[in-house]
Amino acid sequence: MNNINKWCLAFVLVLSIPTLSSAQKTTKYKCMVQMTNYVGEGAYIAVSLIDAKGTYEKTLYVMGSDKKWYPDLKEWHKAYKKKPVNISGITGASVTGGDRSVTILDIDDTKVNKGYKLRFETAVEDNKYYVKDLEIPLTTEGLAAKTEGTGYIRYVRLSPN
Amino acid sequence: MTISIWRYSHLALAVSSFIFITLASLTGIILSFKPVTEKTQPYKSKDFNTLTVANLIPNLKKAYIDISDVSIDANQFVIVNGTDLNDHSGHFYVDPKTGKSLGKVAKENEFFRWTTTLHRSLFLHETGRFFVGLTAFLLFLIATSGTVLIIQRQRSLKKFFGKIVKDGFAQYYHVVLGRLMLIPIIIISLSGTYLSLQRFGIIAEQKITHKVDFDGLKTSPEKKTADFEVFKRISLNNLQAIEFPFSEDVEDYYTLKLDDKEITVNQITGDILTEQTYSKATLFNHLSMDLHTGRGSAIWAIVLAIASANILFFIYSGFVIMWKRRSGRIKNKYKSDQAEFIILVGSENGTTFRFANAVYEQLLKNGKTAFMAEMNSYQVFPKAKQLMVFAATYGQGDAPTNASKFKSLLKKYKQPNTVDFAVLAFGSHAYPDFCKFGYEVNNALSHEDWAKPLLEIHTVNDRSPEEFTRWATLWAQNSNIELTLLTKLLETKPVKTQQFEVVSKTVSAHAETSFIIRLRPKKRKRFTSGDLLAVYPANDHRERLYSIGKMGKEVQLSVKLHQGGLGSSFLHHLEAGQSVNASIVRNEHFHFPAKAKTVIMVSNGTGIAPFLGMISEHSGGKNIYLYCGFRNQDSFSLYQNAINTETNKLTKLNVAYSREGEKQYVKDLLLKDEPLVCETLKSGGVIMLCGSLGMQKDVIELLDDLCLRSQQKSISYYQSRGQILMDCY
Repeated sequence: MNNINKWCLAFVLVLSIPTLSSAQKTTKYKCMVQMTNYVGEGAYIAVSLIDAKGTYEKTLYVMGSDKKWYPDLKEWHKAYKKKPVNISGITGASVTGGDRSVTILDIDDTKVNKGYKLRFETAVEDNKYYVKDLEIPLTTEGLAAKTEGTGYIRYVRLSPN
Repeated sequence: MTISIWRYSHLALAVSSFIFITLASLTGIILSFKPVTEKTQPYKSKDFNTLTVANLIPNLKKAYIDISDVSIDANQFVIVNGTDLNDHSGHFYVDPKTGKSLGKVAKENEFFRWTTTLHRSLFLHETGRFFVGLTAFLLFLIATSGTVLIIQRQRSLKKFFGKIVKDGFAQYYHVVLGRLMLIPIIIISLSGTYLSLQRFGIIAEQKITHKVDFDGLKTSPEKKTADFEVFKRISLNNLQAIEFPFSEDVEDYYTLKLDDKEITVNQITGDILTEQTYSKATLFNHLSMDLHTGRGSAIWAIVLAIASANILFFIYSGFVIMWKRRSGRIKNKYKSDQAEFIILVGSENGTTFRFANAVYEQLLKNGKTAFMAEMNSYQVFPKAKQLMVFAATYGQGDAPTNASKFKSLLKKYKQPNTVDFAVLAFGSHAYPDFCKFGYEVNNALSHEDWAKPLLEIHTVNDRSPEEFTRWATLWAQNSNIELTLLTKLLETKPVKTQQFEVVSKTVSAHAETSFIIRLRPKKRKRFTSGDLLAVYPANDHRERLYSIGKMGKEVQLSVKLHQGGLGSSFLHHLEAGQSVNASIVRNEHFHFPAKAKTVIMVSNGTGIAPFLGMISEHSGGKNIYLYCGFRNQDSFSLYQNAINTETNKLTKLNVAYSREGEKQYVKDLLLKDEPLVCETLKSGGVIMLCGSLGMQKDVIELLDDLCLRSQQKSISYYQSRGQILMDCY
């Protein structure tokens, strides 16, 4: 029941915003990031859509709101500087060691199963930087699995919202 | 010496860290407004205290299609992170009773965030954090050393909150506010230090991982969230946050962060899966955060703001005090081996230098060669004719730091010529050892053969300008210095004189003319024996002081006629019935002691005057011994009548004649009565001296010997406790 309501709502929303009407249909995914018990400041995490060639296509979410630290997420920041977009709607708080963070990601349905990846890039003040703390292949299976991280992230879980 | 160690560390710590402390205080004041502004927001629910988690979760589920977590902030605002029925995701303040959204959680204020970063790390990352942490610790040390200084100043822990002697604005409020703000400042510095230590991993931070036994998870009996026993038991008061299960899978569970522990709860059956209590370090971290930031309590936040503002004031007033002390340093025009007038100053915080400076300037103005130094710089002064010592007393009757070596130096260096000396002791009656160090210095100088008293020791209570001026006037007259600067510097009020009528005059009939003169004030005026009568013989600034004996309502003076003496010849020329302008100067330190059971009065020559008045006024109930010295029976005869009528009030009268019979001085009589003298001091009795400085010097020397022999206490102990009263000239 809920789901139908939600879909209707999403549909109405899409229709009501003409600028978005040209955009492709997107699906909301709940994304949970569980951090390891590292010691230090809160981690900045950029979630980006990466194409098959490995280039940044879109920023899906940034955990960490102080722009001062964005350059620490080196690769993402390079791409972001080249093509600045307004990310204020998809910015949240940084995540400390041991904590979990649940956010909503908007993923374009047409990109699924096309060789795209979700990249979780992490950096901590005065600490190591991980370009690929973890990557999730943007496939139907990938979107349902639990993926282990290699840096500050213990694992990431996604599920359709 | 311990005093100066604490003081130097207090100063050194402050100097080395004041820039950081200023920054931290300024930003701290700004940040304290954060909890205050938060508190005023309308997101607090009335029913907060009555609700449990079992109420909260179903209420929220009605209003949100998906919830990932709920947290309760320090203001007891409930914040939901989830998606509402309109498919809006994000963080919302909610009413825990209805689940209704009260507003979206605003982005953190940029300015507060900027200030917080500055406060925490000065924008210097780890380096900055280290310095800020260190500064917090230094602030703690400064507060501690300040506490020790206050205890030393107040002389005991008990008197910590007692009266403070006012030493000028900066000093006074540095101490007053220091005591008041001590506890908040120690809390701020300690909590800040603790947070830094944890930040740098010196105190290990607790990281909780829940090890859930996934194989043992039960899926029945299924219960409604509202019926979970564990949820019913947890009131919102004890809750910090709930992480909701990520999915409906049994392997996903609730995690509840409570005040003292974390628990995980099966989302189907409501069983507690794991439970981990917080370590002491974690609880202490929470406490430190609460105390350091004032989160959750607007009142405490305001206290923190006031304390921070006070820290700024301490920095300011501390530097004023230091600057004053430094500016008291001496710039001499003449070298020590050229000067005839030597001024030595013993002062703990430099204020005594102000008085000494006035005298120093006055000497230079009069074309004298003067040299001023700290008492610890005492040495041989080859050309010295006069030595003035301005000695303050610090703490428990101690020498000030810059005078600590004076007494040993005095024994080491003998002056080649006879030097007139005068000691002016500074102190406060707020302390029991009033001017003790001054007395010690005066007594030590009295023991030196080269030292000749110019004036008796005078005391200045709480920097009284009147008392200082009185001394300065006397000193100037005795050293033939015209006082021009001093009066301006200290701005004393013009003396109010009043009219007195001469009642009688009795002149002794022998070569050494002395006389007794009685005056009656024309207007009613309160006075008592031991006060002084100031006479202005030439109707100008020159005043002459005489000790008063009160006879009935009349002033009785006893005067020795000096050849060419301004005051004595003036009085000698007065006849009964004439009027004279004079003023009564209260001289509290030489009043008849009200409490002492035994009083020994010692005088020579005309010094008997105040004692005659005291004996005549006395109504009984005390043991009074009078020791008086005269040249011969002739000079005593002037007073004999007066004493004979009062003999019944005297326990014993002892008269010494220096030019007749056994040729004794009063000190010889006192030595004979050693047991009486010692017993009197021991039992709280009082010895009063009035007469010449030479007599005073002899008697004090004798008393010092007697005391040391019988009680191992130096005479200055009794002087500072008002058991030896002196009024000599």
